[in-house]
Amino acid sequence: MLSLTLLLAITIFPPEHVQARDIPNDEGGKIVVTWDRINAPELIGYRVLRQQRNSDKWDTLAFVGRLNNRYIDDAAVNRIEYRYQIIAVAESTQAVSQPSAYTCSLPQWFDTSTLPALLGTVILSLIFVFFFDRAKRDRNLFIRRIAGLDAVEEALGRATEMGRATLYVPGLSTMSDVATIASLNILGEVAKKTAQFGTPLIVPVADPIVYTVAREVVKEAYTTAGRPDAFHQDIVFFVTDQQFAFAAAVDGIMTREKPATNFLIGMFWAESLIIAETGAATGAIQIAGTDAVAQLPFFITACDYTLIGEELYAASAYISREPVLLGGIKAQDYSKALIVFMILVFSVLALSFNLPVLSWL
Amino acid sequence: MSSTHENIFLRLQRIDRRWIYLVLWLVIMVPLIFPFRIQPRASTPVAQLFNYIDTMPENKALVISVDFTPDTRAELQPMVIALLRHAFTIKRRVGILAMQVYGLGLAEEAIQQVTNEFNSRAQTHEDSVIYGEDFVFWGWTTPLLTVMLGMGERITRVFPVDYYGNPTESLPIMRDLKNYDDVGILVSIAASAMPRSWINFAQVQFGVNLSCGITAVSAADFYPYVNSGQFIGMLAGMKGAAEYEQLVEKRMKNKGMDWGLRNTGTEAMSSQTAAHLAIMVFIVVGNIAYFASRRRKK
Amino acid sequence: MKRRLPLLIVLITGIFGAVAFFVPYPAIRAADEIMRNDVQRIIAAFSLVLGVGSIVQHHMLKIQRRAQYYSYSYITIIALIITAIIGVFGGIDVTRPGILPTRFGSFSIHIQTLYSNMMVPLAATMFSLLAFFMASAAYRAFRARNLEATLLLLAAFIVMLGAVPFGRLIHHQLPAFAEWILAVPNTASKRGILFGVELGIFATSLKIILGIERGWLGGGK
Repeated sequence: MLSLTLLLAITIFPPEHVQARDIPNDEGGKIVVTWDRINAPELIGYRVLRQQRNSDKWDTLAFVGRLNNRYIDDAAVNRIEYRYQIIAVAESTQAVSQPSAYTCSLPQWFDTSTLPALLGTVILSLIFVFFFDRAKRDRNLFIRRIAGLDAVEEALGRATEMGRATLYVPGLSTMSDVATIASLNILGEVAKKTAQFGTPLIVPVADPIVYTVAREVVKEAYTTAGRPDAFHQDIVFFVTDQQFAFAAAVDGIMTREKPATNFLIGMFWAESLIIAETGAATGAIQIAGTDAVAQLPFFITACDYTLIGEELYAASAYISREPVLLGGIKAQDYSKALIVFMILVFSVLALSFNLPVLSWL
Repeated sequence: MSSTHENIFLRLQRIDRRWIYLVLWLVIMVPLIFPFRIQPRASTPVAQLFNYIDTMPENKALVISVDFTPDTRAELQPMVIALLRHAFTIKRRVGILAMQVYGLGLAEEAIQQVTNEFNSRAQTHEDSVIYGEDFVFWGWTTPLLTVMLGMGERITRVFPVDYYGNPTESLPIMRDLKNYDDVGILVSIAASAMPRSWINFAQVQFGVNLSCGITAVSAADFYPYVNSGQFIGMLAGMKGAAEYEQLVEKRMKNKGMDWGLRNTGTEAMSSQTAAHLAIMVFIVVGNIAYFASRRRKK
Repeated sequence: MKRRLPLLIVLITGIFGAVAFFVPYPAIRAADEIMRNDVQRIIAAFSLVLGVGSIVQHHMLKIQRRAQYYSYSYITIIALIITAIIGVFGGIDVTRPGILPTRFGSFSIHIQTLYSNMMVPLAATMFSLLAFFMASAAYRAFRARNLEATLLLLAAFIVMLGAVPFGRLIHHQLPAFAEWILAVPNTASKRGILFGVELGIFATSLKIILGIERGWLGGGK
């Protein structure tokens, strides 16, 4: 038995090809150490050791399992050179590798893996800036009709005639969602009109930060419309950030207050149909808008008008008719054409020449 | 006779929606009380996730982000339970967090259930699942960006204490679960767009492997990400949960763990099948009434 | 100044956020982390106070004005206060009690009791309404009015059949076909919409960073 153990002990070889290199595209402080894995059943794992240049001391960094052949030293100090040693550890023996070459970690100023994103951002930004500028000079940019937005005035007029309120739900998401920001832009325009028409406005909100911004937006809109007196603290209010409790609250408002017009614009999830169906049952005119693609069928089914995807982002420009903002819609269209063109070209290239072009992007 | 038909079709077209609610309620309730056995077979996205976790390296952990709230508990909780059972069966470490404060209770409930299942049957120390060694429940913190980006740097910084108030640095599991580098896969179970946020912040910046469990109503939103490989498989709705339960049950049986555990996702399949069929019947009836009344008009 | 300052903050933080994505240098990352970790947390904490303040103010106003259905406001305020007291002082559950005596014999009202017995069933009830609304909406709206609607109807039928184990009994390839509809035609159309959405997001972000879009500030120059 003893001789067998000794025999096994002898078969443990030290790990070979121990290499250490700085991890690229990071803030530094990290060195990756790699080695050839040993295929020995009695192996338990590897001990990773580190030595600083001009020091005699080897520090144990970690013990990793036998299936590993890679360790990231995230305790390295930038610009200090280290070398590494790997010890293969078995039950009764261990084998020490040759030390790696000295290497140091360095922080980078640019993450090269984000180059395609940077190029895309620059190109798209240039297209947008060009059209913002052009829109200032050419005030007759053609923008196709968006039925849902054309209906805003009519819907608000209906609420005024019926002497009922207008309900505006800016979605359930947070301010970090651009759909919420787009919705608040539209809320500003809608609030201006309700202020002009003297229609009561109800804005229940599902996020405390959105509540703060929405309240300011409505307050400013009432001031811009020349009706600061008509604004009161109760127009915009926070309900809850819980998805279905919020849906229940909105359903309650719909059935109790019976608003003549419901705007459901922003980010919605599974509660979309619960809110929209209740609104339809109360007989309100409903204008919905979201970029949550899965919820679009529900809105299309239960609402009178639906802003689909990008129309949500075009809405504020469309309603306000601000030329510079309209230039943004034009830029969006041209950018989309560019993307379609690139997809076609790269697809043809990839298929014709069997090139791995798509992996570049 | 003709006018009677006309009346029926017209009435069918304008039927009070409460009749539809009543029929659907009956269709859902009856199979819940008198279930018929349905054994779902795993679809490709479910098998993909299962196989990935099943063959994940030993030193990598499974992280489950409980991103849903009690409303979708019936549909999504079976996924959390099945994932926990799977990880504990194949002895992979698990980290659990909640991105919604209301998810804390659900995560705790799932942990209690599954740890009880394993520990009550454990014969040895090896068989049991131990808190702080085999799994950790980090709890909840806000805001979203802090968690998703912060976990890429150091998990213990984002969660200095766990759900139970223990300093996370003191837990043995955290020694080898520092950041996303130690995570084999992170599965976000959600009824919202939270899995998309995980892609935007955790995957784009740190390259962590992701998957998701999602309500059936939102599933169509996530197929593009499964196809692009950004999600490794997906569990879609109760059916996805039931399929995963079946795969886990089979895996447990292979390991000699034929415990006859309850699979709530699979149990609900009979009711869900009946409801789907009822909705299809509604659509057919609605169309017959529509065409019949249109022909009469002509 | 009231308008310029927010615009300036948005310009600086917006550009910085974009730069931090491309530049991994420690100083930039550290500043970015402070913005994400500390600043956002502080804002989130304050916003919670604002949220609670808004709820209380909204319902107190209703009660004061004796608005229609104002009695419901009493329920909201009382529920809010009781939940807060139990949550802060009543402990998590039986094993982790708080300073309040929340256990009466075998009955206890800890926050977990409220959560499991009120939150969970109430929220699940709301979500389950979806099935009923979906059935009613499908009955009213899914009509084969024209070619597009008929194609949509057929696709929906196949996907629904594929989604239930019953579909396999009709044809063993039906679930795979349903999966294909979701994964290929559905994804293709979705990607088309998503391109538009992402460009819309890009445009909105750029307009806000550059101060062109001011709707979120209430509009105006």
